[in-house]
Amino acid sequence: MSLTESPPVQVKADRNGFTLVPDPAATFDAIVAYMRQRLEHSHDFFHKTDMVLDLRTKPFRSDEITALYEILFDKAQVKLIEVRLSDDLSFMVEGEMQRRRMRASGTEKPKENDSPLIVRNTCRSGVRIVSPSDCVVLGDVNPGAEIVASGDIIVFGSLRGIAHAGAAGELSARIWALSIEPSQIRIADLVAVPPKGGKPVPKRFEVAEVQSGAIQVITV
Amino acid sequence: MAGKTIVVTSGKGGVGKTTTVANLGTTLAKKKYSVVMLDADIGLRNLDVVMGLENRIVYNLVDIIEGKCRKAQAMIRDRKLSNLFIIPAAQTREKNAVNPEQMRQLCAELAEEFDFVLIDCPAGIEQGFKNAVAGASTAVVVTTPEVSAIRDADRVIGLLEASELKNIYLVINRLNVKMVKKGDMMSTEDIISLLSVPLLGVVPESEEVVISTNRGIPLVHERGSKAGSAFRRIASRLNGESIPIDEDGADGFFGRMKRLIWN
Repeated sequence: MSLTESPPVQVKADRNGFTLVPDPAATFDAIVAYMRQRLEHSHDFFHKTDMVLDLRTKPFRSDEITALYEILFDKAQVKLIEVRLSDDLSFMVEGEMQRRRMRASGTEKPKENDSPLIVRNTCRSGVRIVSPSDCVVLGDVNPGAEIVASGDIIVFGSLRGIAHAGAAGELSARIWALSIEPSQIRIADLVAVPPKGGKPVPKRFEVAEVQSGAIQVITV
Repeated sequence: MAGKTIVVTSGKGGVGKTTTVANLGTTLAKKKYSVVMLDADIGLRNLDVVMGLENRIVYNLVDIIEGKCRKAQAMIRDRKLSNLFIIPAAQTREKNAVNPEQMRQLCAELAEEFDFVLIDCPAGIEQGFKNAVAGASTAVVVTTPEVSAIRDADRVIGLLEASELKNIYLVINRLNVKMVKKGDMMSTEDIISLLSVPLLGVVPESEEVVISTNRGIPLVHERGSKAGSAFRRIASRLNGESIPIDEDGADGFFGRMKRLIWN
Protein backbone atom coordinates (compact mmCIF):
# COMPACT_ATOMS: atom_id res chain seq x y z
CA MET A 1 0.00 0.00 0.00
CA SER A 2 1.58 3.28 -1.03
CA LEU A 3 1.55 6.39 1.06
CA THR A 4 -0.35 8.45 -1.46
CA GLU A 5 -3.37 6.15 -1.41
CA SER A 6 -5.81 6.46 1.42
CA PRO A 7 -5.75 3.50 3.80
CA PRO A 8 -8.44 0.82 3.35
CA VAL A 9 -9.89 1.82 6.69
CA GLN A 10 -9.68 5.09 8.55
CA VAL A 11 -9.32 5.10 12.33
CA LYS A 12 -10.95 8.21 13.69
CA ALA A 13 -10.63 9.18 17.31
CA ASP A 14 -13.42 10.97 19.12
CA ARG A 15 -14.54 11.61 22.65
CA ASN A 16 -16.00 8.14 23.13
CA GLY A 17 -13.21 6.10 21.57
CA PHE A 18 -12.30 5.13 18.06
CA THR A 19 -14.43 4.80 14.97
CA LEU A 20 -13.42 2.61 12.06
CA VAL A 21 -14.54 3.89 8.69
CA PRO A 22 -13.77 1.41 5.87
CA ASP A 23 -13.05 2.76 2.42
CA PRO A 24 -15.89 1.74 0.05
CA ALA A 25 -13.34 0.57 -2.57
CA ALA A 26 -11.27 -1.58 -0.21
CA THR A 27 -11.61 -5.34 0.06
CA PHE A 28 -12.33 -6.99 3.38
CA ASP A 29 -8.93 -8.72 3.35
CA ALA A 30 -7.13 -5.42 2.84
CA ILE A 31 -9.03 -3.94 5.76
CA VAL A 32 -8.16 -6.84 8.01
CA ALA A 33 -4.50 -6.75 6.96
CA TYR A 34 -4.34 -3.02 7.56
CA MET A 35 -5.90 -3.30 11.03
CA ARG A 36 -3.53 -6.09 12.03
CA GLN A 37 -0.57 -4.01 10.98
CA ARG A 38 -1.93 -0.91 12.65
CA LEU A 39 -2.45 -2.70 15.97
CA GLU A 40 0.98 -4.29 15.83
CA HIS A 41 2.77 -1.05 15.05
CA SER A 42 1.02 0.99 17.69
CA HIS A 43 1.99 -1.48 20.47
CA ASP A 44 -0.58 -1.06 23.18
CA PHE A 45 -1.91 2.33 22.17
CA PHE A 46 -5.23 0.72 21.23
CA HIS A 47 -4.99 -1.87 23.99
CA LYS A 48 -8.42 -2.57 25.53
CA THR A 49 -10.06 0.35 23.82
CA ASP A 50 -13.58 0.38 22.49
CA MET A 51 -14.18 0.82 18.79
CA VAL A 52 -17.21 1.60 16.68
CA LEU A 53 -17.48 0.19 13.18
CA ASP A 54 -19.02 2.63 10.76
CA LEU A 55 -20.62 0.77 7.86
CA ARG A 56 -22.60 3.63 6.40
CA THR A 57 -20.46 3.78 3.25
CA LYS A 58 -19.32 0.16 2.98
CA PRO A 59 -21.61 -2.64 4.09
CA PHE A 60 -20.10 -5.80 5.61
CA ARG A 61 -21.55 -9.27 5.77
CA SER A 62 -22.33 -10.44 9.26
CA ASP A 63 -19.59 -13.09 9.21
CA GLU A 64 -17.13 -10.35 8.24
CA ILE A 65 -18.17 -8.32 11.24
CA THR A 66 -17.66 -11.32 13.49
CA ALA A 67 -14.25 -12.03 11.94
CA LEU A 68 -13.14 -8.44 12.43
CA TYR A 69 -14.43 -8.47 15.99
CA GLU A 70 -12.32 -11.53 16.78
CA ILE A 71 -9.19 -10.20 15.11
CA LEU A 72 -9.37 -6.91 16.98
CA PHE A 73 -9.92 -8.70 20.26
CA ASP A 74 -7.09 -11.19 19.70
CA LYS A 75 -4.58 -8.59 18.62
CA ALA A 76 -5.07 -5.95 21.27
CA GLN A 77 -8.22 -6.83 23.19
CA VAL A 78 -9.98 -4.11 21.34
CA LYS A 79 -13.74 -4.39 21.69
CA LEU A 80 -15.96 -3.64 18.79
CA ILE A 81 -18.87 -2.31 20.76
CA GLU A 82 -21.12 -0.86 18.15
CA VAL A 83 -21.85 -1.22 14.45
CA ARG A 84 -23.34 1.78 12.71
CA LEU A 85 -25.41 0.78 9.69
CA SER A 86 -26.96 4.09 8.71
CA ASP A 87 -27.47 7.46 10.33
CA ASP A 88 -30.32 6.30 12.50
CA LEU A 89 -29.66 2.58 12.67
CA SER A 90 -26.94 0.96 14.69
CA PHE A 91 -26.65 -2.07 16.89
CA MET A 92 -24.59 -2.94 19.91
CA VAL A 93 -22.48 -6.03 19.48
CA GLU A 94 -23.88 -8.95 21.39
CA GLY A 95 -22.12 -9.82 24.61
CA GLU A 96 -20.85 -6.31 24.97
CA MET A 97 -24.35 -5.34 26.08
CA GLN A 98 -24.34 -7.84 28.89
CA ARG A 99 -20.88 -6.84 30.05
CA ARG A 100 -21.89 -3.22 30.06
CA ARG A 101 -24.93 -4.00 32.15
CA MET A 102 -22.78 -5.92 34.59
CA ARG A 103 -20.38 -3.04 34.85
CA ALA A 104 -23.22 -0.63 35.44
CA SER A 105 -24.75 -2.71 38.19
CA GLY A 106 -21.31 -3.28 39.70
CA THR A 107 -22.02 -6.89 40.63
CA GLU A 108 -18.98 -8.36 38.96
CA LYS A 109 -15.90 -7.03 37.28
CA PRO A 110 -15.55 -8.13 33.68
CA LYS A 111 -12.27 -10.01 33.44
CA GLU A 112 -11.17 -12.07 30.47
CA ASN A 113 -8.26 -13.65 32.27
CA ASP A 114 -8.06 -13.58 36.05
CA SER A 115 -4.86 -15.52 36.61
CA PRO A 116 -1.97 -13.23 37.51
CA LEU A 117 1.27 -13.24 35.57
CA ILE A 118 4.11 -14.44 37.79
CA VAL A 119 7.67 -13.45 36.98
CA ARG A 120 10.16 -15.55 38.90
CA ASN A 121 13.33 -13.56 38.42
CA THR A 122 14.69 -10.06 38.66
CA CYS A 123 13.51 -7.76 35.89
CA ARG A 124 16.61 -6.11 34.56
CA SER A 125 16.97 -2.98 32.47
CA GLY A 126 15.36 -3.37 29.06
CA VAL A 127 12.78 -5.94 30.12
CA ARG A 128 9.13 -5.06 29.51
CA ILE A 129 6.42 -7.19 31.00
CA VAL A 130 2.79 -6.73 30.07
CA SER A 131 0.08 -8.56 31.98
CA PRO A 132 -3.59 -8.61 31.05
CA SER A 133 -4.45 -9.01 34.73
CA ASP A 134 -2.32 -8.74 37.89
CA CYS A 135 1.44 -9.13 37.82
CA VAL A 136 3.58 -10.66 40.56
CA VAL A 137 7.35 -10.25 40.39
CA LEU A 138 9.39 -12.48 42.68
CA GLY A 139 12.56 -10.37 42.59
CA ASP A 140 13.56 -6.78 42.00
CA VAL A 141 12.47 -4.48 39.22
CA ASN A 142 15.62 -2.64 38.23
CA PRO A 143 15.84 0.83 36.67
CA GLY A 144 15.06 0.67 32.97
CA ALA A 145 12.63 -2.23 33.34
CA GLU A 146 8.91 -1.71 32.80
CA ILE A 147 5.96 -3.59 34.24
CA VAL A 148 2.53 -2.91 32.78
CA ALA A 149 -0.52 -4.66 34.27
CA SER A 150 -4.21 -4.12 33.90
CA GLY A 151 -4.65 -5.04 37.54
CA ASP A 152 -2.36 -4.74 40.56
CA ILE A 153 1.42 -5.04 40.53
CA ILE A 154 3.07 -6.91 43.39
CA VAL A 155 6.85 -6.86 43.67
CA PHE A 156 8.56 -9.04 46.26
CA GLY A 157 11.69 -6.95 46.10
CA SER A 158 12.61 -3.36 45.35
CA LEU A 159 10.70 -1.52 42.68
CA ARG A 160 13.19 0.78 40.98
CA GLY A 161 11.93 0.76 37.41
CA ILE A 162 8.63 1.86 35.90
CA ALA A 163 5.38 0.27 37.07
CA HIS A 164 2.03 0.92 35.46
CA ALA A 165 -0.91 -0.62 37.31
CA GLY A 166 -4.47 -0.46 36.07
CA ALA A 167 -3.19 0.15 32.57
CA ALA A 168 -6.66 -0.24 31.13
CA GLY A 169 -7.92 2.62 33.24
CA GLU A 170 -8.64 0.92 36.55
CA LEU A 171 -8.19 3.64 39.17
CA SER A 172 -8.56 1.21 42.05
CA ALA A 173 -5.43 -0.73 41.00
CA ARG A 174 -2.54 -0.68 43.43
CA ILE A 175 1.19 -1.26 43.38
CA TRP A 176 2.72 -3.29 46.21
CA ALA A 177 6.45 -3.65 46.79
CA LEU A 178 8.89 -4.26 49.63
CA SER A 179 10.32 -0.90 48.76
CA ILE A 180 9.03 1.62 46.24
CA GLU A 181 11.81 3.80 44.88
CA PRO A 182 10.81 3.87 41.23
CA SER A 183 11.84 6.07 38.36
CA GLN A 184 8.12 6.58 37.77
CA ILE A 185 4.86 4.92 38.77
CA ARG A 186 1.60 5.09 36.93
CA ILE A 187 -1.86 4.03 37.97
CA ALA A 188 -4.50 4.22 35.24
CA ASP A 189 -3.80 7.58 33.58
CA LEU A 190 -2.07 9.17 36.58
CA VAL A 191 1.69 9.50 36.72
CA ALA A 192 3.86 10.12 39.79
CA VAL A 193 7.57 10.54 40.33
CA PRO A 194 9.18 10.05 43.75
CA PRO A 195 9.96 13.18 45.78
CA LYS A 196 13.58 14.33 45.77
CA GLY A 197 15.80 13.46 48.68
CA GLY A 198 16.14 10.37 50.80
CA LYS A 199 13.26 8.59 52.40
CA PRO A 200 13.08 6.32 55.44
CA VAL A 201 13.48 2.60 54.97
CA PRO A 202 10.04 0.97 55.04
CA LYS A 203 9.22 -1.48 57.80
CA ARG A 204 7.52 -4.20 55.79
CA PHE A 205 6.22 -3.15 52.44
CA GLU A 206 4.81 -0.19 50.65
CA VAL A 207 1.66 0.35 48.66
CA ALA A 208 0.98 2.94 46.00
CA GLU A 209 -2.66 3.80 45.45
CA VAL A 210 -4.82 6.61 44.21
CA GLN A 211 -6.11 8.89 46.93
CA SER A 212 -8.15 11.96 46.04
CA GLY A 213 -6.93 12.03 42.48
CA ALA A 214 -3.18 11.59 43.07
CA ILE A 215 -0.87 8.67 43.60
CA GLN A 216 0.22 8.25 47.22
CA VAL A 217 2.82 5.81 48.53
CA ILE A 218 1.96 4.44 51.96
CA THR A 219 4.29 2.46 54.18
CA VAL A 220 2.51 -0.40 55.86
CA MET B 1 41.12 -30.58 28.47
CA ALA B 2 39.37 -27.63 26.94
CA GLY B 3 40.23 -24.25 28.41
CA LYS B 4 37.93 -21.57 29.72
CA THR B 5 36.41 -19.06 27.35
CA ILE B 6 35.72 -15.78 29.10
CA VAL B 7 34.10 -12.71 27.59
CA VAL B 8 34.71 -9.32 29.17
CA THR B 9 31.77 -7.05 28.50
CA SER B 10 29.99 -3.99 29.90
CA GLY B 11 27.36 -2.49 27.63
CA LYS B 12 28.64 1.02 28.14
CA GLY B 13 31.86 2.12 26.52
CA GLY B 14 34.92 3.43 28.31
CA VAL B 15 34.50 1.54 31.56
CA GLY B 16 37.71 -0.45 31.16
CA LYS B 17 36.93 -3.67 29.29
CA THR B 18 40.13 -3.64 27.27
CA THR B 19 42.25 -2.72 30.29
CA THR B 20 40.64 -5.56 32.21
CA VAL B 21 41.30 -8.06 29.42
CA ALA B 22 44.93 -6.95 29.08
CA ASN B 23 45.59 -7.19 32.81
CA LEU B 24 43.73 -10.44 33.43
CA GLY B 25 45.38 -12.06 30.43
CA THR B 26 48.83 -10.95 31.51
CA THR B 27 48.31 -12.12 35.09
CA LEU B 28 47.05 -15.54 34.02
CA ALA B 29 49.99 -15.89 31.62
CA LYS B 30 52.36 -14.98 34.46
CA LYS B 31 50.83 -17.86 36.39
CA LYS B 32 52.11 -20.11 33.58
CA TYR B 33 48.77 -20.70 31.92
CA SER B 34 48.62 -20.43 28.18
CA VAL B 35 46.39 -17.51 27.31
CA VAL B 36 45.02 -16.03 24.12
CA MET B 37 43.23 -12.68 24.07
CA LEU B 38 40.77 -12.13 21.27
CA ASP B 39 39.83 -8.59 20.30
CA ALA B 40 36.23 -8.83 19.09
CA ASP B 41 35.84 -5.07 18.66
CA ILE B 42 36.07 -5.16 14.88
CA GLY B 43 36.52 -1.70 13.41
CA LEU B 44 37.62 -0.15 16.71
CA ARG B 45 40.57 -2.25 17.67
CA ASN B 46 42.29 -1.29 20.92
CA LEU B 47 43.70 -4.32 22.66
CA ASP B 48 46.87 -4.36 20.57
CA VAL B 49 47.61 -0.75 21.56
CA VAL B 50 47.08 -1.44 25.25
CA MET B 51 49.43 -4.43 24.96
CA GLY B 52 51.95 -2.39 22.95
CA LEU B 53 51.84 -4.75 19.99
CA GLU B 54 50.23 -2.64 17.28
CA ASN B 55 53.27 -2.59 15.01
CA ARG B 56 53.42 -6.39 14.79
CA ILE B 57 49.97 -6.94 13.29
CA VAL B 58 49.91 -8.69 9.93
CA TYR B 59 46.73 -10.79 10.02
CA ASN B 60 43.63 -10.35 12.15
CA LEU B 61 40.47 -12.03 13.42
CA VAL B 62 38.52 -11.51 10.19
CA ASP B 63 41.39 -12.99 8.15
CA ILE B 64 41.22 -16.16 10.25
CA ILE B 65 37.48 -16.42 9.87
CA GLU B 66 37.58 -15.77 6.14
CA GLY B 67 40.31 -18.39 5.80
CA LYS B 68 42.97 -15.97 4.52
CA CYS B 69 45.47 -17.20 7.09
CA ARG B 70 46.01 -19.92 9.66
CA LYS B 71 45.17 -19.19 13.30
CA ALA B 72 48.81 -19.34 14.30
CA GLN B 73 49.72 -16.68 11.74
CA ALA B 74 47.36 -14.11 13.23
CA MET B 75 48.39 -14.71 16.84
CA ILE B 76 50.88 -12.20 18.13
CA ARG B 77 53.15 -13.29 20.95
CA ASP B 78 53.52 -10.88 23.86
CA ARG B 79 56.82 -9.05 24.23
CA LYS B 80 57.48 -10.37 27.71
CA LEU B 81 55.52 -13.57 28.14
CA SER B 82 55.99 -16.41 25.69
CA ASN B 83 52.67 -18.09 26.62
CA LEU B 84 50.50 -15.01 26.00
CA PHE B 85 49.03 -14.25 22.59
CA ILE B 86 46.62 -11.76 21.14
CA ILE B 87 44.46 -12.02 18.05
CA PRO B 88 43.78 -8.46 16.91
CA ALA B 89 40.52 -7.26 15.41
CA ALA B 90 40.34 -5.92 11.88
CA GLN B 91 40.40 -2.15 11.87
CA THR B 92 39.15 -1.70 8.31
CA ARG B 93 36.12 -3.96 8.58
CA GLU B 94 32.81 -3.84 10.42
CA LYS B 95 31.12 -5.99 13.04
CA ASN B 96 29.01 -7.85 10.49
CA ALA B 97 32.13 -9.28 8.84
CA VAL B 98 31.79 -12.08 11.41
CA ASN B 99 28.77 -14.01 12.64
CA PRO B 100 28.12 -15.64 16.03
CA GLU B 101 28.38 -19.18 14.62
CA GLN B 102 31.88 -18.50 13.25
CA MET B 103 32.95 -17.00 16.57
CA ARG B 104 31.59 -20.00 18.45
CA GLN B 105 33.64 -22.31 16.27
CA LEU B 106 36.80 -20.23 16.57
CA CYS B 107 36.48 -20.03 20.36
CA ALA B 108 35.96 -23.78 20.60
CA GLU B 109 39.10 -24.37 18.52
CA LEU B 110 41.14 -21.93 20.60
CA ALA B 111 39.89 -23.47 23.84
CA GLU B 112 41.39 -26.79 22.71
CA GLU B 113 44.83 -25.22 22.47
CA PHE B 114 44.83 -22.73 25.34
CA ASP B 115 43.97 -22.72 29.04
CA PHE B 116 42.23 -19.37 28.80
CA VAL B 117 40.56 -17.59 25.90
CA LEU B 118 39.74 -13.98 26.86
CA ILE B 119 37.40 -12.12 24.54
CA ASP B 120 37.34 -8.33 24.53
CA CYS B 121 33.74 -7.39 23.75
CA PRO B 122 32.81 -4.14 22.01
CA ALA B 123 30.51 -1.64 23.71
CA GLY B 124 26.84 -1.87 22.84
CA ILE B 125 24.44 -4.78 22.58
CA GLU B 126 24.29 -5.21 18.82
CA GLN B 127 26.01 -7.55 16.40
CA GLY B 128 29.48 -7.07 17.92
CA PHE B 129 28.22 -8.01 21.37
CA LYS B 130 26.39 -11.06 20.03
CA ASN B 131 29.55 -12.20 18.23
CA ALA B 132 31.73 -11.74 21.30
CA VAL B 133 29.33 -13.52 23.62
CA ALA B 134 28.58 -16.44 21.31
CA GLY B 135 31.68 -18.46 22.05
CA ALA B 136 32.04 -17.73 25.75
CA SER B 137 31.17 -19.95 28.69
CA THR B 138 31.89 -17.32 31.36
CA ALA B 139 31.24 -13.59 31.35
CA VAL B 140 32.94 -10.85 33.32
CA VAL B 141 30.83 -7.71 33.40
CA VAL B 142 32.84 -4.57 34.04
CA THR B 143 31.12 -1.51 35.42
CA THR B 144 32.08 1.78 37.01
CA PRO B 145 30.17 3.25 39.95
CA GLU B 146 28.09 5.51 37.72
CA VAL B 147 24.35 5.12 37.25
CA SER B 148 24.66 5.02 33.46
CA ALA B 149 27.30 2.28 33.49
CA ILE B 150 25.30 0.29 36.03
CA ARG B 151 22.10 0.53 34.05
CA ASP B 152 23.93 -0.76 30.96
CA ALA B 153 25.59 -3.52 32.98
CA ASP B 154 22.15 -4.54 34.24
CA ARG B 155 20.85 -4.74 30.69
CA VAL B 156 23.87 -6.75 29.58
CA ILE B 157 23.47 -9.18 32.47
CA GLY B 158 19.85 -9.64 31.44
CA LEU B 159 20.93 -10.38 27.86
CA LEU B 160 23.64 -12.78 29.02
CA GLU B 161 21.14 -14.64 31.18
CA ALA B 162 18.77 -14.79 28.24
CA SER B 163 21.52 -16.31 26.08
CA GLU B 164 21.91 -19.00 28.74
CA LEU B 165 25.33 -17.92 29.87
CA LYS B 166 25.23 -18.87 33.51
CA ASN B 167 28.64 -17.90 34.94
CA ILE B 168 28.44 -14.16 35.22
CA TYR B 169 30.83 -12.20 37.43
CA LEU B 170 31.16 -8.53 38.20
CA VAL B 171 34.22 -6.29 38.27
CA ILE B 172 33.80 -2.78 39.59
CA ASN B 173 36.35 -0.49 38.03
CA ARG B 174 37.48 3.00 38.98
CA LEU B 175 36.05 3.10 42.49
CA ASN B 176 37.11 6.19 44.36
CA VAL B 177 37.10 5.25 48.06
CA LYS B 178 37.22 8.89 49.17
CA MET B 179 34.16 9.82 47.17
CA VAL B 180 32.25 6.79 48.42
CA LYS B 181 33.03 7.80 52.00
CA LYS B 182 31.71 11.28 51.35
CA GLY B 183 28.58 9.75 49.86
CA ASP B 184 29.25 11.19 46.40
CA MET B 185 29.67 7.84 44.68
CA MET B 186 27.72 4.61 44.71
CA SER B 187 29.32 2.05 46.99
CA THR B 188 30.18 -1.52 46.11
CA GLU B 189 27.33 -2.58 48.35
CA ASP B 190 24.77 -0.50 46.43
CA ILE B 191 25.99 -1.79 43.08
CA ILE B 192 25.82 -5.42 44.16
CA SER B 193 22.37 -5.10 45.65
CA LEU B 194 21.18 -3.82 42.31
CA LEU B 195 23.00 -6.13 39.93
CA SER B 196 22.96 -9.23 42.17
CA VAL B 197 25.82 -11.13 40.51
CA PRO B 198 28.94 -12.40 42.34
CA LEU B 199 31.74 -9.88 42.63
CA LEU B 200 35.23 -10.72 41.39
CA GLY B 201 36.88 -7.61 42.71
CA VAL B 202 37.08 -3.85 42.85
CA VAL B 203 39.72 -1.83 41.04
CA PRO B 204 40.46 1.54 42.62
CA GLU B 205 40.61 4.64 40.45
CA SER B 206 44.21 5.37 39.59
CA GLU B 207 46.35 7.48 37.28
CA GLU B 208 48.68 4.56 36.81
CA VAL B 209 46.10 2.92 34.57
CA VAL B 210 46.25 5.75 32.03
CA ILE B 211 50.04 5.78 32.11
CA SER B 212 50.34 2.04 31.59
CA THR B 213 47.78 2.09 28.77
CA ASN B 214 49.67 4.84 26.98
CA ARG B 215 52.97 3.00 27.39
CA GLY B 216 51.47 -0.26 26.20
CA ILE B 217 52.57 -2.20 29.28
CA PRO B 218 49.82 -3.82 31.38
CA LEU B 219 49.67 -2.55 34.92
CA VAL B 220 50.13 -5.96 36.51
CA HIS B 221 53.80 -5.84 35.52
CA GLU B 222 54.28 -2.97 37.99
CA ARG B 223 54.90 -4.25 41.47
CA GLY B 224 53.75 -1.42 43.70
CA SER B 225 50.52 -0.50 41.91
CA LYS B 226 47.26 -0.79 43.85
CA ALA B 227 45.15 -1.13 40.74
CA GLY B 228 47.60 -3.70 39.41
CA SER B 229 47.33 -5.84 42.53
CA ALA B 230 43.53 -5.54 42.35
CA PHE B 231 43.69 -6.98 38.82
CA ARG B 232 46.02 -9.74 40.02
CA ARG B 233 43.53 -10.76 42.69
CA ILE B 234 40.66 -10.64 40.23
CA ALA B 235 42.57 -12.97 37.91
CA SER B 236 43.25 -15.37 40.79
CA ARG B 237 39.58 -15.46 41.74
CA LEU B 238 38.63 -15.99 38.13
CA ASN B 239 40.99 -18.94 38.19
CA GLY B 240 39.06 -20.38 41.11
CA GLU B 241 41.41 -19.42 43.93
CA SER B 242 39.56 -18.17 46.98
CA ILE B 243 41.03 -14.92 48.15
CA PRO B 244 39.05 -12.86 50.63
CA ILE B 245 37.82 -9.71 48.97
CA ASP B 246 38.49 -7.39 51.91
CA GLU B 247 42.10 -6.92 50.80
CA ASP B 248 40.80 -4.87 47.91
CA GLY B 249 40.39 -1.63 49.73
CA ALA B 250 41.51 -0.03 52.93
CA ASP B 251 37.85 0.09 53.87
CA GLY B 252 36.98 -2.82 56.14
CA PHE B 253 33.24 -2.37 55.85
CA PHE B 254 33.19 -2.92 52.10
CA GLY B 255 35.54 -5.80 52.58
CA ARG B 256 33.13 -7.57 54.87
CA MET B 257 30.27 -6.91 52.51
CA LYS B 258 32.18 -8.22 49.52
CA ARG B 259 33.42 -11.30 51.31
CA LEU B 260 29.86 -12.11 52.24
CA ILE B 261 28.83 -11.98 48.62
CA TRP B 262 31.85 -13.81 47.33
CA ASN B 263 31.36 -16.78 49.66
